[in-house]
Parts: sequence; C-alpha cells; structure tokens
Amino acid sequence: MTPGPPDVLCGRVRRGHVVVVVVAALALPPAPLAAQAMFGAQITPVLTRADPVPGGSSLTELRFTAPFLMGTADFLGGRLRLHATLDGEGWTMPGGQLATGGFGEGWEDRRHPHTWAHELLVTAIDLTPVPGGVHWSLTAGKGFAPYGTDDPMSRPALGYPVNHHWSQILERAVAILGLRYGPVTLEGAIFNGDEPERWDQWPNWRRFADSWSLRALIQPSAAVELQASYAQVRSPDNRPGAGPGHDKVSVSARMEHALGSGRIYGLAEWAYNSEANGFFKYYSGLAEAQWSRAAHRAYVRFERTDRPEEERVFGNPFRWNLPHLENSTIGMTRWSIATAGYGRGLTPAHLPVHMEVIAEVEYARVTSLTGLFDPTSFYGRSDLWMASAALRIAAGEPMHRMGRYGVAADGGHVMMMPSPERE
Amino acid sequence: MRARWVGVGALGAALAGCGGERAATGPVTTGAGVRLVATVGVPANYGQHDQFFRAGLAFLCSWNTGLQVYDVGDGRAGGSPQNPKLVSRIVTAGGQVHNAWWYWAPDGQKRYVFVGQEGPGVIGSSSSGDIHVVDVADLTAPVEVASYHLAGAGAHYFWVDEPHQILYAAYYNGGVVALDVSGTLSGDLSGREIARVQPGGAGNTYVWGVIPFNGSLYVSDMLSGFWQLALAGDTLRVLGGGNNVPERYGSGLAIANGFAYSGTWGSRAGVLGNAVKIWQLGPSGAPVLHDSVVTPGFTTVSDVKVSDDGRMLMFSAEFGPAAGLYFYSLVGDPGHPAFIAHYPVTANSENGVHTAEFAEIGGRRYVFAAEDPPIPGMMILDVTSIRP
Repeated sequence: MTPGPPDVLCGRVRRGHVVVVVVAALALPPAPLAAQAMFGAQITPVLTRADPVPGGSSLTELRFTAPFLMGTADFLGGRLRLHATLDGEGWTMPGGQLATGGFGEGWEDRRHPHTWAHELLVTAIDLTPVPGGVHWSLTAGKGFAPYGTDDPMSRPALGYPVNHHWSQILERAVAILGLRYGPVTLEGAIFNGDEPERWDQWPNWRRFADSWSLRALIQPSAAVELQASYAQVRSPDNRPGAGPGHDKVSVSARMEHALGSGRIYGLAEWAYNSEANGFFKYYSGLAEAQWSRAAHRAYVRFERTDRPEEERVFGNPFRWNLPHLENSTIGMTRWSIATAGYGRGLTPAHLPVHMEVIAEVEYARVTSLTGLFDPTSFYGRSDLWMASAALRIAAGEPMHRMGRYGVAADGGHVMMMPSPERE
Repeated sequence: MRARWVGVGALGAALAGCGGERAATGPVTTGAGVRLVATVGVPANYGQHDQFFRAGLAFLCSWNTGLQVYDVGDGRAGGSPQNPKLVSRIVTAGGQVHNAWWYWAPDGQKRYVFVGQEGPGVIGSSSSGDIHVVDVADLTAPVEVASYHLAGAGAHYFWVDEPHQILYAAYYNGGVVALDVSGTLSGDLSGREIARVQPGGAGNTYVWGVIPFNGSLYVSDMLSGFWQLALAGDTLRVLGGGNNVPERYGSGLAIANGFAYSGTWGSRAGVLGNAVKIWQLGPSGAPVLHDSVVTPGFTTVSDVKVSDDGRMLMFSAEFGPAAGLYFYSLVGDPGHPAFIAHYPVTANSENGVHTAEFAEIGGRRYVFAAEDPPIPGMMILDVTSIRP
C-alpha cells in the first residue's frame, strides 16, 4: 500500500493567525475517487398567528422558513464525505419568525434567520483502519458542535422550542473527533464560542478553539439512544469575547421504532446552562413524541425552559441590543409550553417532490423568576397562544439529523426523521 | 409646569407630586457648537464605560481592558485634549472596570484610585462586583493594593467625601455603603465599613448612584426613586424622599444650585427612561419634584452631570435614534433648565453614549464621553462655545 499525499481540505489565513484543518490521507487503500452524491431542497411556507406578542397585541405573519439546498458527496468509498446545507432564511425571513418564548442571537419571541452557510463540512471516516472494532472520524468545517440533541429543524414540531440555544450549539467553526466502539460513541470538539449576530456572518476565526464540547452516545438497542454532553462555551453573546462563559450540560433519551403498521418516536431531554461561573443558571426540560402511519403523523411537545430577558431595542420589542455593554440582564422568565400538531403527506405521484400540510397549536405560560422584567406588563397577560399552518415542500435528499457527523451519523446512529413521506 | 421649546420635542404627561413633565415641542438643534476634537479607541472588550477627570488626567474605565490613565493636559506625557497620551494601564482583579475616583486626601496625598467593578447582575434583583483600590503613587506603575467585597451585591457608582475621608458607594441591591478610606489602605477593607442601608428595603432597593451634598447623602435608586439620607455616627439614616418615581426606573444623578437632577432608565411598564427629574432640595434638604424634562427618541438617560461652575447641565442618552449628548443651561432658573444643544451619537447602532464628564482644561470646557459598542471609545468634545 502506497501512502497518499496529505489532502488539505480547508484553510484560512487572517492577520497572521492560521487555522488549517488537515485531513491526512496517509495510508489510503485503493478506492474510487467519487462514489455517490445526493442533493436536496426544501422550503416551508408557514402562516403563524401569535396572541399576544410583545406589546399585548396579536400578530399574523407568513414566512418562508427553512429554504434549504442540501448536498452530500461521498468519496473514497464513503470514507470522505462533503456535506453542505445552505439556508436562505436571511433572504426569505430577514425579520425572523414568530416564536413565542424563543430567544437567541439578539432575538426574543422570534426565531432568528440562520446563517446562509448552515452546514459546510468535510468528514473523514475510518481513513486508516484501527484494530479492535474501533471506528473513528474527523470532521471540520462550519456546523454544529457535538452537544445536546438534534436541531429542532429535523424534529417533528414546526415551531422551535425555547431551549434551542441551551440544547444545541450551532453555526460554529468546528473540528470534531469521533470514536465509536460497538454501541458507544464519543465525540470531542473545539470551536469558536461566538454566536453569529447576523445571517450573513461567518464565525470569528480568531476565536477558533476557545470553546470545547464532549458528547457520549449509547445505543443499548436499535431503537434507543442515550445522550450526555458537556460544553464550555466562551462568550457566546459577545463576538469580540468580552462576555461571560457558558457551562452547558445536556442529557437525553431518544427512541424510535415500529408500532404495528406505524412508527413511534420519543425524546426526553434535560439541559442546564450556567453563565458567569454560576451567577446565571437556566434549566430546561422537554419531552416530545410522535406517532406516524402512512401519510399521517401526530405529535406533541411539552417544555419548561428558563430564558434571560434583555432590554429590547428602541422601536423593536423582538430584538435586544447587540453587542452587550455589560454582563447584566433585566430578568429571567420561565416558559411552560404545550405544543400539538398534525401532518398529512400529500406527495403527488407524478412529481418528484414530497409535500406535507401541517397544523400546529401552542399554548404557553410565562412567569418571572427574578429581575425587573414583568411578563404580564410586557405581553398584556401571562398566557400566550400561537397557531401555525404550513406546507412543507421537499425534493431529493431527505432531511438528516442535523449536528450528527462522522461516526455519530454512521454505523447505526442515523435514525430516520419522523415524517410520513418516509413511510 | 409650563410649555417651552426644549430643542427636541418632549412628551407631555402628568406626574404625581409638585413637579410635572414638560409638554413641549420644538426645533431640533443638533451638535451646534459642539466639536469633536479627539477619540480614544478602546477594544470592544466590552469597551468604554466611564471616565474620571481630574487635574489634566483622564482615568478611563475600559471594562476588561482595565483602568487606563491618559494625560489630556497634565503635561507629564505631553498630552492634550486633542492628543491624549497613555500614561499607564492596570487591569484590576476580575476586570469589568466600570468607574473610578482619584482620591485626594485632606493631607495632600493623591495616592489612591478607587475602581468599581461591575460583575454580572440581574437588574432589580441581584448584582456582583467589588471596589478595588489602586496605588498610583507612581502613576506610571499602578498597583492594586486593597479591595472591598460585599457578599450578595455588587458595586456601582461611588462618590468620595474627601474632607471626611468617606467613600459612599451605591451597591445596587445591597443599598448604600459608607467606607472609611482614611490613612493607608491595604488588603481586605471590610473592616472599614462604617454603615450600610437599603433605603427602599429588601426587594425595593437597587441603588444606582450617591452624592453627598450639604450634610445629606442623595441617592438615586432604580426601583424606589430619589432619597435623602445622612450618616449619623455609624448609621445611615433615611431623612426624606423615596418611592417618588413610580413610573420609571432611576439612573444617574447630579446636584447643584439647590437642585438635584436624576436620570431614568430602560422601560418600566412601557414607560421609557427618557426623563430627567429635577428635584428642589428644600430647607431640610428633602427632595421635592420640581420639573421633568422628557425627550423622545431614546430609552435611557444613563448619566447626568453639572459643570463645576453650576451653569451647565449635560445628560447622556442611549438606545434610540435620538441617542447622544444633551446640553442645558442652568443660568437664571436652574429649576427649569433651558435647552442648548443635542450632539447625536448614533453611528454605533443607535446605542449612543453611556457616560460623560465635564473637564476644564486651559480655559476651555471639554466633555469626555464614553461611546457605546459596537464602536467603543472615549470621545473628547469641545463645548466651550455653548458654555452658558
């Protein structure tokens, strides 16, 4: 066997700092250069009514959410994978999407548009065999750090849970080493701590590797996955790096298997986010389930999550000031939310697309835990409703479990996203 | 209450008490006579928070970049307002350098700078951060020598009663703390604590700032309004005021000519902190609301200052299209300030100015102002031509 040359896949030079990610294909057995490529596209128009929104009134909006172009190309017999998910939300919903209780990246009660380069990664899997049944992978690029549960975009509900930024670490420049032995997968990663401030912003490359995470996955049976994660994220809310760090913990149990002629899916997760060495502590518990059969699916989600309250921008009660001026908040609130939805697949036989109509309703109660922020004054009342109707249109490569790369995605850890189109 | 031209339009609303909020509209005067002469850039870490000026030296409180001493007219480093020169810098323990006071003791010593650290907090409920003491006997090599820590609360603005050698500190939910700063300071200063009080009581106290004046101590509390206290022996007693700004949260304060001027902050039940409250200090010193100046177009009056000659009022405004600096004349009727000029600072995402300080240098009047992120720095403005 003749060692091949190092394959430099990604490099970046900025002000003398060099971040070079090298996947060394030093001992490659013969294999075809390109074996397989898949592409997909998706968009989901959503009509949402939220009552109340900040200020006490109600609001109805149509948004074109999750306009994705996805592509995956496998090389070297699947041992080298390029993966990209391009997200057009910056164009289709620059003002965000109504999301009662949602927060993150300078937004409150709206989901922020994701950055256009949502996932852009290269993964090497078992490039050099390791004896003893151990599989390994190295992933680098922009995407999710190995932490917490799947991105809400690849889960049953239409609306995002409040805990999105407690339970996922997304849109980072990341390098991940994964190891899998039997039912156990371990992942470790370094990445930049800063969250994006805008949909067209790249990670702050000078902060690459100032944060890290570890995740363990155990699959005691084909239907069940247990997850535990820990992360230290430096100054996510302040791009230059002046903000307090976050210590994050996530544990979850996920199951998915056949039930009669249908399928059931369930997820239970608990997350803890400690900021500024424990000065701020936020907790989240979430459980969701889905039953699907043929073209039908029904789902529920229950969540109780704490979130920080920030002073809102003048004239825009859905945004808070970025960057922060100091390490204070104006309060902490607790959101208890029940969500229920139904989806009906409408895949036309003569078209190469999958379609699904979705109806979803959400009821939330918010209480103040500490600070100045008075939700009853801010929203006019403490119980909030949100209802959505959507049409999901997808073609080609199906939605994957976002945030799962390398050995965490391969070898039995990929479980099909609940969706009637896949029945 | 009377309607007047105040430069920028004012909201009209009735207020409880003897004072009221002006209902007025008028022409916008922007920046006339205010000249930017220099800007000291500060790393966005978070940036510039406050500045203390004395005798040609500016002490910049630059958060995690630390306390920076600049010669802006002292002469030791050849600095001037147009060309500030860095003398030294120190990052006190924990960084988060928020405010400072260069203490001149009655015996002539000018050895200590007190530095306030603003740690994490939940406004209205909790706070953190200590007072650090920096020895500047050698201004080119400052050294931290002492600190004061109050468990469960954090320091905010303080004022040193230099003749009596007492530092009065706002401690947010911890209330007001009086510290003995006489003699040599070293190590833990908890034994120097003279008195402490929560003027609004537990759950209704979140003190922004304090100023001693005419034997009283005036306190601006974010939750419970404007107070008159006094130190009697080892006790801080409440003499008057309090629970008198129910519609807004309080912020910074200034005192001159028998009047006090206090700012307001954020949004309280939808009412913005865009007011300056004017308090008449009666014969007993008790504050009585006399007037209010309300300016639309921003969210917070973050700092209020009066020039040393008592003739000019300035406040800084944050968060909104009308953020920046506002100047008023106190000549003639300090109870009803007359608008002079508005200097807008909005290029920083309309975040405006966090704090500002008057400085008299070489016969001219300057303003040292902390420009907020995302382009943080200290602006030096010549306001001589608008001096009343």
